[in-house]
Order: sequence, then C-alpha cells, then structure tokens
Amino acid sequence: MPFYEKGQVRIHYEEAGSGFPLLVIPGGGLNSTIEGLKTHPFNPLDEFKDRYRVIAADLRNANGGQSTGPLEIDRPWDGYTDDHLGLMDHLSIREFMVLGFCIGGPFIWNLLKRAGDRVVAGVLTQPSGYRPTQPDLFYQNNIKGWAPQLCQSRPDITMEQAGAFLENMYRKNADFVFTVSRDFVRQCQTPILVLPDDVPAHPYAVAIETVHLAPNAQVSLYPWKANPEQITIALRHVGTFLKANTPAAAAQRPMAAAAQ
Amino acid sequence: MPFYEKGDVRIHYEEAGSGFPLLVIPGGGLNSTIEGLKTHPFNPLVEFKDEFRVIAADLRHAKGGQSTGPLEIERPWDAYTDDHLGLMDHLGIRQFMVLGFCIGGPFIWNLLKRAGDRVVAAVPVQPSGYRHEMPELSYKNNMKGWGPELCERRPDIKMAQVDTFLSNMYRGERADFVYTVTRDFVRQCRTPILILPDDVPGHPYAVALESAYLAPNAQVSLYPWKMSPIQIQIALRHVRGFLKTNRPAAAAQPLAAAAQ
Repeated sequence: MPFYEKGQVRIHYEEAGSGFPLLVIPGGGLNSTIEGLKTHPFNPLDEFKDRYRVIAADLRNANGGQSTGPLEIDRPWDGYTDDHLGLMDHLSIREFMVLGFCIGGPFIWNLLKRAGDRVVAGVLTQPSGYRPTQPDLFYQNNIKGWAPQLCQSRPDITMEQAGAFLENMYRKNADFVFTVSRDFVRQCQTPILVLPDDVPAHPYAVAIETVHLAPNAQVSLYPWKANPEQITIALRHVGTFLKANTPAAAAQRPMAAAAQ
Repeated sequence: MPFYEKGDVRIHYEEAGSGFPLLVIPGGGLNSTIEGLKTHPFNPLVEFKDEFRVIAADLRHAKGGQSTGPLEIERPWDAYTDDHLGLMDHLGIRQFMVLGFCIGGPFIWNLLKRAGDRVVAAVPVQPSGYRHEMPELSYKNNMKGWGPELCERRPDIKMAQVDTFLSNMYRGERADFVYTVTRDFVRQCRTPILILPDDVPGHPYAVALESAYLAPNAQVSLYPWKMSPIQIQIALRHVRGFLKTNRPAAAAQPLAAAAQ
C-alpha cells in the first residue's frame, strides 16, 4: 500500500496500468477515497488502466481513507491541491491528465489555476458547484457528515477548527465552482470534458456555464448515468477525449528531463 | 466545377482541404446539395478543411443541384450509395470517414452495410429516421417537395415513377428505424459512430438514440446542440476529437496501393 509523505502530510495512493498519467480524484466530498470509486458510476482505475497510468489517492483527512495531515484552515482548497501536485512530483510526473468526480470538479479548476502548464486535459464528472437556492449546502453537509467523525479520530482537531475550515472553503467562496472565477475559466485553453449531473450539490447550470465559458470545453450526453448503456456511451466519449489529448510523445517525461 | 461520370450518371462534387478523406453528405432530403451546406448548422467544407480532404456532392436529381442520372426505381437507396462509392473510387480513395446531415444518416448506414471495410468512422448529424406516429412523412414530403419539380425538369420522369421510387424508398418494409439497415445490422456494426441528434418530425430523437444504444462503438453529442452558436462550437469540438482519434495513422490509402 503506497504512501506519499511530505512533512506532516501522508497520502495513500494507488496506481493501475501504464501510459500517460491520469490522476483520478474520487468523489464523496471531503470523504473522497479510492475505496469510494467502487460506488461511482464507473471506476477509472478499471476503465482506463489499459491505456493510461491511472493514479488515485485518498483525500487528506477523509473519513474511511488513510491519508492524514494538518487541517490547513486558512487555505483549505490549496492544501488539497498541494497534495495532488505533491503526489505527481513524488511520482516524477510532470504533465498529466486529470479526471475528477464531484468535488474533483473544483479541485481540477484549482489544479488548472495553479499548474496549468502541467495539466494537459481535464474531465469533470458530475462536478460540484454552488447553487444559489441552497447556499449553505456544502457547509452543512460537511459539518454534519465529515467533521464530527474526523474530530473523533483526530483529537488534535476541534469542531471549531473544522467549522472555520469549512467556512473558508465554502462560505467565503460561495459562487460558481468555488475555486476559480468565471474570468479564469473564460481564458483557460486547456481541453475540458464535463459530464454533468443535477443533484443539489452538482448543479447542471454551473456545469453547463463552465462548458459555455471555457474555450476548449466539451460536454457529454445528458443524462449519462441513468442506465449502463448511457454510461458506456459517455465512457466512449471520455476515451476519445483522453486519446485526442494525450501528447504525441507519450509522455511520462520525468521532471528532471522536462526541466532541462 | 468537377464532375464524376459513370454511364448515365453525372455527379457534381467539390473538395476542400487535404488529409484523410471525409465524405460529406448534405441534408435537405432528396434535394441534398453542396449549396445547401451553407444553411446547415455548420459547413464541414469550412470546418474540417484544415485537417481533412473534405468531399461533398450534389445528390443525383436534387433540385438546385447539378447531379443527374436515371431514376432507379427498384433500388433507390442503393443507387445513391453507388454514387457515393463511385465518387470515392473516381478520386482514388479506398478508406474514408463520412459525415452526413439528415438523409445522410440512412445513407451512412447503407454505406456501412455495403462497404463497411472502407468506412473508417461516421458522423450522422441530425439523422433522419422513421417516426411511427407520422408514417407517411418522408413519402409525402418528397411527393410534394421533390417529385413535381423533378418531373418538370426531366420530362422522361413521370410522377407515377416518382411514386414508385418513393414507395420503395420509404414505405413497406423500409418504413422502420433508419430505413436502410436493420437493428441487427447496427447491433453488430463495430465502426465508430458519433451521432448528433435532432428532434424534428423528420429526424426523430428516439431513433437516433436507439441507434446509439445498439451500435457497439457509438457516441452521442450533447443535446440540444444547435440552439446557439456556442452549443454548435461545443459539438464541433467533440466531432473534431472523434475524427482525429479515428483517422488511421497511415493516412489515406490510394486504391491501387490498398489493392496490393
């Protein structure tokens, strides 16, 4: 069971297959874990391992996962993005594609903001977003569904700290995709494929707005997960998208070589 | 203005760009012409000429077009398919991709049935199909919108012949699904297909989706995809990725070379 460690951070990850790297961010909100992928509409570790080096990790401090680290109250989104980029560095991967479910949507946008030159393409699957009609949804979901269990397993973290963390994560960024502005999306040339959803935490309107704004975005059929046939059709689109955007010189350029 | 000629058949065609061949079948029912592409949601001669050798033709007998030939009453669909394959032969093209609007959908399936080894990938755009609640739609549309003008222009063709031609094309056993092939054929057709559905009377969404569900290598675009220019751009990104990933690595094979 491999771990990436940096200071107090310890991230459990898994890999499957070989080829150009595909970072997978599981859904499940702040309880995003590799194990959770088994309950997703599809499991990228299975679906794409024949063509790609698929890498997935438990989110830092996810209940049910094995990744641990400090609660970075003042930089919640960036704390997680540090882990994603740090894991890629640890694996000597410079350029990669990324596929994320749910909370993976905001994480992908943050990756694009912070390391746009490393992310070759992004697939946002049932992405999370802000819904004005339910403005406190994420804070409430996590203060009930994530924080108490975390505080129980980590006596160094209090509910007050968890509340401040969630306040900074969701209430102070209460718009759009939480992590980036519409202006950022408008100028982001990275190819994007969005597979929309429309449950309270995954607003269809926000997913489509990002597709309309991003100059290189595509969107799947919708709905795409009402039955197994739809999922298969959507996966063919994802397969085409990933293949079309895999760099010709397939890539695993080690960081050292890329830096030269 | 180039023509392909074979016996009594004379087909007007145009080309744009270079690269792997992309045959384009304009919409407009039996009045499908190159000129008509200018009124379509997008013009493939413009959109794809930078990456492909795009070839479009006026349909034999189309009003406003310049293609002529006999009215093959007993084999309406196959006569048109003869023209498509004959034009590819004439241009020394063995393998090609095909993108067809409206009536191009049934034509694409017929091409796949008759020359599946030559058609590398296909894009049916707003494809025509049989609608049970309007069983006579295609027959009647053409009896009014195509037959009379054709008979006026071609005194050797009588309305009784047109009636038989259209009956063989759209009525009886043909009056189902995509007119030209069976569901069993689609079920076993492994050629990559990307469908951009529509839902006007002549282009039933249900049939488009049914073919996508049945075909083992089918994809579907977003829907709706042509209500605004941005939707069309998003759909075109999908089409480009699809064509790019399905283009054979060793681009176009001339007929002579392929026969060796």
